[in-house]
Amino acid sequence: MGYVHDTSMSQFIPPTAMMGVTGTFTQAAGAVTGTIAFHRAAAAQTSVITIPIILPSNSVGLKGAYLKSIEVDYENLLAAATSVTFALNKIARGADTAVAVKSAVTVTQDLAAAAGAETENQHKCTITLTTPEWIDNDVYYLLTMTIVAGATVTNDVLAAVANYTLRL
Amino acid sequence: MGYVLDTHMSQYIPPTLFHCVTGTWTNAAGAVTGTIAKHVAATDEVSVVNIPILIPSNSNALKGAYLKSVEIDFEILVAACDFVDAVVNKVTRGANGDVAVVAAQTFTYDAGHDTAAERDDLDQHLMTLTLDTPIWIDNDVYVLVELTLDKAASTTVDMLGAVANFDLKV
Repeated sequence: MGYVHDTSMSQFIPPTAMMGVTGTFTQAAGAVTGTIAFHRAAAAQTSVITIPIILPSNSVGLKGAYLKSIEVDYENLLAAATSVTFALNKIARGADTAVAVKSAVTVTQDLAAAAGAETENQHKCTITLTTPEWIDNDVYYLLTMTIVAGATVTNDVLAAVANYTLRL
Repeated sequence: MGYVLDTHMSQYIPPTLFHCVTGTWTNAAGAVTGTIAKHVAATDEVSVVNIPILIPSNSNALKGAYLKSVEIDFEILVAACDFVDAVVNKVTRGANGDVAVVAAQTFTYDAGHDTAAERDDLDQHLMTLTLDTPIWIDNDVYVLVELTLDKAASTTVDMLGAVANFDLKV
């Protein structure tokens, strides 16, 4: 029996898996014909889009997926936003009759929230874990994208891609 | 070239991928800050949630994913349900011109959910459905776990996610 240790794995996470809170969100065609997007309508508000990181996990330590970074493809349209900030939460699932427990994972985003990520443009922002993590079967990860928006800007989130090492 | 047989694989399935019928369903923040949920509003009705089991398949027999169990994380809030029940459906895709074929799989609830009273009570739930006979996922089939929620008038439910447990042989 062999063994796999691939350090170049990636997983596409479609916009249909994303969840928006505060704002008017719709599934829409992307600006480029043939693409799809999670679209936020224009309104002066702070919206949060949650991106579930859909990767395999493993009940054995140091096996399964070793999450290293996440890339998010999105567009700020019609105007710049005030800021776009990413945060990564690790959710330890609750045992039966217990609630889940959230903890923040330290990350850096390569586009500064209010000096790069917020401009009216197409963006690919990479969020890198300061310390990559093996994904246990009792946890999952949710990436939040907080958009502080003025009255005009709309946002299309096209996709996310999780980069990880796979060890089986 | 070797091969891999990992018997400890799991796959998280977020609530955004759940298919919810009957009821007023919304994407909402979960009761614990930072979590997300599919939330159904209070109404005396029977809602049905289908959870697509997103694990790899393989066109070769005895390869790919060998589905063993599915865990469902959900919360029954405000008041107990009248009834909660699960079905594991194996769906064989129809050939062109043919309908799909559904076959219910036999399974066992975990000890904390093997009575109706345990499944429908007001609480946080981690309910495990263990297939009596695990199944290799052929490329012509997929699996849907169907959860029926018979709610009381004031019951709300948050579906937080699911985790499929499987062997991977590739």
